[in-house]
Amino acid sequence: MEPVLLDLIAALRASGVRISPSETMDAMKAAALVGYGDRMVLQDSLSAALAKSRHEKELFETCFDSYFSFDGFSNPEEGPSFPAATTPDDQDSPLTRMLLSGDNTGLSISMREAAKKEKIKEIYFFTQKSLYVQRILKGMGLEGMNRDMESFFSNESAQSQQKAGALREGRDLLFEKVRDFVESQFSLFAASATEEILDKYLRDMKLSNLEQRDFHRMHAIIKRMVKPINDYHSRRRKRAKRGSLDLKTTLRENIAYQGLIFKPQWKTKKIDRPDMVVLCDVSRSVETVARFMLLFLYSLNEEVAKISSFICCSNLVEVSHLFDKYDVDEALGRLQKGVGLGIHLGRTDYGQAFKDFKESWLDKVTNKTTILILGDARNNYGNPETGILSLLHKRGKRVIWLNPESPPFWGTGDSDMKKYIPFCSIARKCSTVNHLEQVVGLLLRSG
Amino acid sequence: MKSEHARKFESIDDIHKGFQDAEYVCNRQIATTLYLARHLEKPILVEGPAGVGKTELAKAAAAYMDIPLIRLQCYEGLDESKALYEWKYGKQLLYTQILKDKLNDLLEETDGLAASVAKVHQYDDIFFSSDFLAPRPLLEALQQEEGAVLLVDEVDKSDQEFEAFLLEVLSDFQVSVPEIGTIQAVTKPLVFLTSNNTREMSEALKRRCLHLFIPFPDPRLEREIIRVRAPDVPEKLRGQLVSFIQQVRKLDLKKVPSVSETIDWAKVLMILNATELRPALIKDTLNIFLKFEADIEIVKENLYQMAERATR
Repeated sequence: MEPVLLDLIAALRASGVRISPSETMDAMKAAALVGYGDRMVLQDSLSAALAKSRHEKELFETCFDSYFSFDGFSNPEEGPSFPAATTPDDQDSPLTRMLLSGDNTGLSISMREAAKKEKIKEIYFFTQKSLYVQRILKGMGLEGMNRDMESFFSNESAQSQQKAGALREGRDLLFEKVRDFVESQFSLFAASATEEILDKYLRDMKLSNLEQRDFHRMHAIIKRMVKPINDYHSRRRKRAKRGSLDLKTTLRENIAYQGLIFKPQWKTKKIDRPDMVVLCDVSRSVETVARFMLLFLYSLNEEVAKISSFICCSNLVEVSHLFDKYDVDEALGRLQKGVGLGIHLGRTDYGQAFKDFKESWLDKVTNKTTILILGDARNNYGNPETGILSLLHKRGKRVIWLNPESPPFWGTGDSDMKKYIPFCSIARKCSTVNHLEQVVGLLLRSG
Repeated sequence: MKSEHARKFESIDDIHKGFQDAEYVCNRQIATTLYLARHLEKPILVEGPAGVGKTELAKAAAAYMDIPLIRLQCYEGLDESKALYEWKYGKQLLYTQILKDKLNDLLEETDGLAASVAKVHQYDDIFFSSDFLAPRPLLEALQQEEGAVLLVDEVDKSDQEFEAFLLEVLSDFQVSVPEIGTIQAVTKPLVFLTSNNTREMSEALKRRCLHLFIPFPDPRLEREIIRVRAPDVPEKLRGQLVSFIQQVRKLDLKKVPSVSETIDWAKVLMILNATELRPALIKDTLNIFLKFEADIEIVKENLYQMAERATR
């Protein structure tokens, strides 16, 4: 039974249940322990060993049911069965013989073998279904049967004609059964595979090429990505409470008690909450990626407790309040149109934006603040005001600049990126979700 | 004793019956998972909504096997000194003070610092022996000769670091104390971890456990539970109150009534000498199983229809 179990596990994996080898071994042991006699007990045992959340349990149940369900052949009560009226000859092909004698078991076995040979488990897309049907039929010996049928039809005798009719009927039924079988196998092995491929594909796609319709999927991906930042930092309070014995301070503290160790002191460790200031460029030059930059910003706002967000174009305005008030679509729409925010969507002017920031919000930057700038640094030949960035760099913890353009384009034309780089702790190209993920990693690693 | 445990876990049906005697009505899934946990020596991660009897399951298991139940309640900031072991600092300090003279006597004969240190070295392990070790629940469970049921309650409330630390205990049934060494379980305990899913448990932890999801019981099972836990309730009332509760669970409430609250309600109805479920009676006792004012209002709105359906 082991191969059967392994196939079931493959099907489970395909439908999104994550199963490790050790769990596979548990499942084997469990199956050996309870035996294969009682279907329900087996199902419960495997479910306990393999599916580890409520969602996974549901997936497991559907998978188990469809995997161990009867195919059309072995359950004669369901639907029409194959006619067994005629007696086959020995010269006929094996498939013809099975069809004519109504050998359901034989047909079932032969279909499964053919399916196995054709590697039905690797089916990915619904467009492959008819291909697999054809291949399985061929593997079962369709050609031989077709030849038989032709020869029966060409023979004028009544018996032969009857045989041909029965065979045609049987063939039509067989087509249907194989199609059903492939359909069920497809839903078993390929259901979530397509989803997964889509997710993977979106991750590598350039942000500027993403379409509106992928937006919500994207939001989910980014949200998942940003979550660890806050998870990591929300543990600070707890961390500070515990620790091991700090010998040095203990000795020092206890001098007052004549050196008797009376009051133990503990080592404490603090992690700072992420304190972030994010500046996002929404000008026309970055229009295509701005939406996703803003989406990233929105997700950061959802997850990071202490964050101030600004958008800039010709000037700079704070937009933190928007994120709390509106849902993602509404907030992003408002941000891009700049409705009622007092932002001038004219020529991009980083210099002016920095000046605005220095004037009104400089006190937001402390030595624990990470400053994140999302923009292409295309300044329309204005004054770059690198002095202010340098000030921020000195004052804050670090400056991270994410540029949607590739490094070779930095500094070309009106790009002032090269001038800004010396004052950035990290300057990165960021044009796909995978790049964003790396940034999240950076934010995490050095707190 | 061990053979007796083995006998109790001989088949799934035995477990089913045995738990019934311990006043815990389990369905087939629970019995199967217990059977596997016992034979594969794996911990069980029990998930489900609050109040379906996750903790109760561990208690019933301890009662059934007649071994102690050792409980570790998890909370934010729980660490190994609370869960595993701690050195008795106070005792260590006290003993060094008491034995000061003794130490002086010992060291008198030696001359030179190096010799003294060498002398002290012969004894220093005394203060880090098991006499000075205060076992906490995890270590205690491993030390039980007869085996124990270890209940790690609400493991989702603990921190991720603690969860990682649990892994050693769960997979190998051993703990490492740096000063003493590795302590192996005398008899492997039966481990239950319960979770309310306030956060997703890590893959590593899940991998080491069998997983059991206990949903709210269906009417038949819930009637059975009431029959076992509140045996005085007449059959008619039992059917009615379970049917009512099942309807309440379908409403959009802040907190749906749990099984334990159903049991409480049944007991209250018994004290009030009720033989039948009447709307007025329900109205007066709603606060037994509903804990939010808003929820009570919602149920009150539909009270007559639901009572009608329940008593039909």
